[in-house]
Amino acid sequence: MDYELPTEFDIIIVGTGIVESIVSAAASRIGKTVLHIDSQDYYGGFWASFNLEQIDKLCERNQNANVDISADVQLNEGERLIQIGNNNFDLKNTSQKWSIPEKLELKDVSENVEGDNCDVTETEADNGTGTEEVWTQEKLMRESRKFNIDIAPKIQFARGDFVELLISSNIARYSEYRSVSRVLTWLNGELEVVPCSRSDVFSNPKVSVIEKRMLMKLLGACMDSEENEFKDYKIKTFHTYLNDKRLTDNVIHYVLYAIAMSTVDTPCSEGVENIKRFLNSLGRFGKTPFLYSMYGSGELSQAFCRLSAVFGGVYALNQNLGGFVFDAENKFKGLVCGKQQVIKASHLVMGIEKSPEEFVKSVEVSYISRGIFITNGSVKGSEKEHLTLLFYPLKGGRELCNVIELGTLTGTCPKGIYIVHMFTKQINTPKEDLEECVSKLFQSEKEDSDVKDARPQVLWSFYYSAPDTNTANLRKDVPENAFLCPGPDCDLDIDYSIKKAKEIFNSMYPDVEFLPRAPDPEEIIIGDGSDEQIPKK
Amino acid sequence: MDDYKFLFKVVLVGNAGVGKTCLVRRFTQGLFPPGQGATIGVDFMIKTVEVEGEKVKLQIWDTAGQERFRSITQSYYRSAHALILVYDISCQPTFDCLPDWLREIEEYASSKVLRILVGNKIDRDDREIPTHVGEDFAARHNMYFLETSAKEADNVEKLFMQIAEDLMEQARSKDLPRYDTSTANIDSRTSTIGDSSCCGKLI
Repeated sequence: MDYELPTEFDIIIVGTGIVESIVSAAASRIGKTVLHIDSQDYYGGFWASFNLEQIDKLCERNQNANVDISADVQLNEGERLIQIGNNNFDLKNTSQKWSIPEKLELKDVSENVEGDNCDVTETEADNGTGTEEVWTQEKLMRESRKFNIDIAPKIQFARGDFVELLISSNIARYSEYRSVSRVLTWLNGELEVVPCSRSDVFSNPKVSVIEKRMLMKLLGACMDSEENEFKDYKIKTFHTYLNDKRLTDNVIHYVLYAIAMSTVDTPCSEGVENIKRFLNSLGRFGKTPFLYSMYGSGELSQAFCRLSAVFGGVYALNQNLGGFVFDAENKFKGLVCGKQQVIKASHLVMGIEKSPEEFVKSVEVSYISRGIFITNGSVKGSEKEHLTLLFYPLKGGRELCNVIELGTLTGTCPKGIYIVHMFTKQINTPKEDLEECVSKLFQSEKEDSDVKDARPQVLWSFYYSAPDTNTANLRKDVPENAFLCPGPDCDLDIDYSIKKAKEIFNSMYPDVEFLPRAPDPEEIIIGDGSDEQIPKK
Repeated sequence: MDDYKFLFKVVLVGNAGVGKTCLVRRFTQGLFPPGQGATIGVDFMIKTVEVEGEKVKLQIWDTAGQERFRSITQSYYRSAHALILVYDISCQPTFDCLPDWLREIEEYASSKVLRILVGNKIDRDDREIPTHVGEDFAARHNMYFLETSAKEADNVEKLFMQIAEDLMEQARSKDLPRYDTSTANIDSRTSTIGDSSCCGKLI
């Protein structure tokens, strides 16, 4: 397909991560001409979801293929060409491991239809009954396209900024969500369901009547947050506050680690805010305050890209990018696409990994320890399939590990399989940081034939350190009309990324509405015979 | 307020300029917009048709121009019930790209999605793809085949009515793609955000 890209835009956006995509949608929406371009052939950058084959390859190759084709363009006096992309924000400490055989051993082969009769195996897998399935690498790879494995898994609060934005901007129609069906925590050596709602609190057999009252009273106090209640805790931790309330250990645990998503070091005000956010999001969709996007978190950025395209944004993935052109005053002039075409724009927005090295040399990076596990069962089995969020306190409560378990109903893995995501702030290495949680939830690798271990078996695992660039100052060495978008943070949701996108948008277009509501197709549709009416919104 | 029994999502793909938007407009609005550029602000079109006395609502999605540089989002294909792959019978390259489109469909659409191959622009007299070539291709890939003219309104109504009928039959025999277990309603555990009935329950 030989189409030529137009030669001038209002903004060029390089990279298709969440922040870039939100900026793109917001700019297109107000009538700016947007070129949204990516050197990769998939959407999402650091926010993408991959099938099994792709993620298998991802582990080997360099995440951000550094583009260094030599452009052959005529520069004006004082202009310079800068190479796109840097290697400062690659995934680190990657280690991938299969814990199942590549193929079935000889004795088993007879049951299996030989050759590439994929359909047969697929139906077998689909009909998977209660009997335990024997998984091989080959078998999982055959189902590769049923996997959508997030490299930056995210869960949204039902009343968080993201969901509100989806609704107010009318972007909700581009993606589907499933509500998290249970919230768990690790308490006294066991997985326990966290009572989320009033009815949960009252039906939970592990919570005594007195504790129920305590819990309701405490949550009420946090919601009202009367000044007197917290006046002595301005510089104290939330844990101290809870201790002073003379609650039982169980109640403290549920509130601190799960409902407030906090650690023993979290300041009191932050803990209270978190509780409010949790409670505010209850009762909107489903039984918990949380939502997960169907087919993976990679769909999130695509929803914004679709809106951008609907409003005229030009999309081009898999492009050879030759460099950025900056003038003598260090202002962005244009993007070299291919070897020769220079596309001009008055603003440049780029994912931080697409930035020229010189703009990011002083950007400080912290890391997130992440682990992805493919397992053959749920961490806490039940007759019904759950979408589980687990808060696991690490290191005696000093850190919190977020665990998300996804089953086939989320459209991210085949039937009979679960994907478990774990992430926490990096302290040592991903493996070391997550070890405590992994060892509690899954069967240990060393076979102990005496004891039947009911916990799920890890079939495949992938550990990595993901860069977090959200605390860095991204304006420091960056020219005035160029903007850097941070990658994923360690939060559960993407609300902070929305804030960042809005900041970038407002810097370029102050006093313009950010993502006003897009008209519904129903508002454009004509009835039978009547005239077309496009609302002037 | 909406009075329909089934809601189906139909998506169109194919090279830029083959007439996808024209097919949709012809069907939903009875219009043929000559020489129009990319449609701005229009996302999908809706038309309710009647099949065997039942009201069927077709939600027809267009590519929003993302096909020009092969950059259609995967999410575009998700939860589609029918997929119309369009080429221009007077333009060989648009036919040559069909295998690429099929690969993308295989990758992201449900394996049970109803697939239709459409050769558009039969009003033109500079045909490059004989009917039987399109027919063969469709047969080999297990697709329905139809030639249309959005300009002359040839077979356009037939195309969408056929889709509505087939999907309805599939729905009755419960052979729809898996995301629809019961009729065309969203699974009770899935919440479609934006559905006003779900919002504001709790203040």
